[in-house]
Amino acid sequence: MRQTGQVPILRVAGVLLVAIQVDLGDTVATALQEDVLEAIARTGSTGLLIDVTGLEMVDSFVARVLVDTGRMARLMGTETVIVGLRPEVAGTLVRMGFDVSEVQAALDIDEGLERLGCKVVRRGAD
Amino acid sequence: MRPEDAIDRLQLDEREVRRRRDYFQVTDEDLARLASHRDLATRHNDEVIEALYQFILGHPESRAFFPDAATVARVKQLQRRYFLGLFQGRCDPAYAEDRVRVGATHETIRMPARLYMGAYAVYLELIRAMFERELEPAAARAAYASAQRLVAFDMALAMDTYVAAAEDTIVRHQAAVRELSTPVIRVFDRILLLPLVGTIDTARAQQVMETLLTRVAEEQARVVIIDISGVPVVDTKVAEHMIMTTNAVRLLGAKTVVAGISPVVAKTIVQLGISLTALETRGRLQDAITLALELTGRAPAGRQA
Amino acid sequence: MAPTEAAEAKVLTREALPVRSEDDVVLVRRRARELAQRRGFDGFAQAAITTATSEIVRNALVHGGGGEATLEELDRGGRAGVRLTCRDEGPGVLDLERALRGGFSVTGTLGLGLSGARRLVDEFEVRSAPGAGTTVVLTKWARR
Repeated sequence: MRQTGQVPILRVAGVLLVAIQVDLGDTVATALQEDVLEAIARTGSTGLLIDVTGLEMVDSFVARVLVDTGRMARLMGTETVIVGLRPEVAGTLVRMGFDVSEVQAALDIDEGLERLGCKVVRRGAD
Repeated sequence: MRPEDAIDRLQLDEREVRRRRDYFQVTDEDLARLASHRDLATRHNDEVIEALYQFILGHPESRAFFPDAATVARVKQLQRRYFLGLFQGRCDPAYAEDRVRVGATHETIRMPARLYMGAYAVYLELIRAMFERELEPAAARAAYASAQRLVAFDMALAMDTYVAAAEDTIVRHQAAVRELSTPVIRVFDRILLLPLVGTIDTARAQQVMETLLTRVAEEQARVVIIDISGVPVVDTKVAEHMIMTTNAVRLLGAKTVVAGISPVVAKTIVQLGISLTALETRGRLQDAITLALELTGRAPAGRQA
Repeated sequence: MAPTEAAEAKVLTREALPVRSEDDVVLVRRRARELAQRRGFDGFAQAAITTATSEIVRNALVHGGGGEATLEELDRGGRAGVRLTCRDEGPGVLDLERALRGGFSVTGTLGLGLSGARRLVDEFEVRSAPGAGTTVVLTKWARR
């Protein structure tokens, strides 16, 4: 898919999947937000999964970009779920007093897809 | 406490040693005066140490720390060196470290501080007697005053070594208690239970949150039950901590159920005007577990439609 | 009498890094994490010092027009620490108290940045005067 930033945006099972693997500079984070919104407009996906497993640090700027992206996506009719947030990152965000009430989160991509209403068939289960 | 650890803890660099010397008024003049009596001290070394150990071994409490002749011979040798250390004309980090090493050795064999300090009193007395016997009264007084200051400096290092060791023990115990006070139990697949007991202050709340978040990630938990029936007072602060922890747990994709809300706690929360709408709460633990099972798609028997 | 607590912090290493661009913000916080790792901080303490550093250094860049960040590895009575001193050349945070309470912002995230950073560390000090720039000093100690 076309993108201006450094983070690939994939389409999986009708859902957009963004996997952030690197420490984001402010410009890259902002560019990612635009890329995601454009991808939503282009594909009409109703779900967005942002995988932050690779993020060792989320400060108020990056957190704000992530939350805002979710809000903007919702305005476009797309639901956002953040997956793979590390324990120390989650702890840091709430200690800072960051308002996380609007954030939808899931443990991993499978659960995130489930949250977005996608049926995931787990091997060995069912 | 190992001598190296004690030395590390007391941070005996130039500045620190200077600071201590200033406090005990150990001057260069004192050191020079003591150094001028080095020959005298060397001559009396054996006799002073013998007398000191006569006291130590003559007392049943302190004798117990020196079980055999070999140990006695070894510590006497150390003590002779320690005694001569007073007359080397220097009081620098190396000197201070040497003193700490001796203190740490006594702490390691668990010799009570009172026995150790008691021996110092005898030691000083022996030094005074030695000077009085060998020197003119005025010179003896001056030499003894210098020795007293330097020995006081030594005693402080020994005491600080004991204090540092005690602090280490406390810190170790605190860590153990913290660990024990945050027992996260896996009650069902992907359901964790944390029974909180005791007072929740900010430091403990922080610890609880970190332990819980780590376990949620490890266990891939979907529901966390925090049972607060063992928390004596639930006030605004505790409620805040609960909300904070719940928010953090939610960021990992798991839900929190707070159990153990007693009538008193429910009353307090409402009267304090604390909003707990963001939290799922239950009175009884078993109801919280039922809810947790429902939340993980496993409606318990007897509750099925 | 607790001489080990009263002991002053010993500076083991010190390095000054420029704060001139957005990449510098990333570099300084990455360095803060490296130092915290080297000093044996647990994951939560590492995240705390890294995040607080990011907030303060970004503030210096965005609101202070850049400056300099100094990172120090500390030891106080055997307890490991990391300290950031961040100095900018900006107009100074005019209403420091309000900014520290959080929620208030000159442009965007300043309020949460300062107050959030303060909540994450053990020691926090801001010196600021209108026209004279802002200096923030924060220290995080490893858990014992």
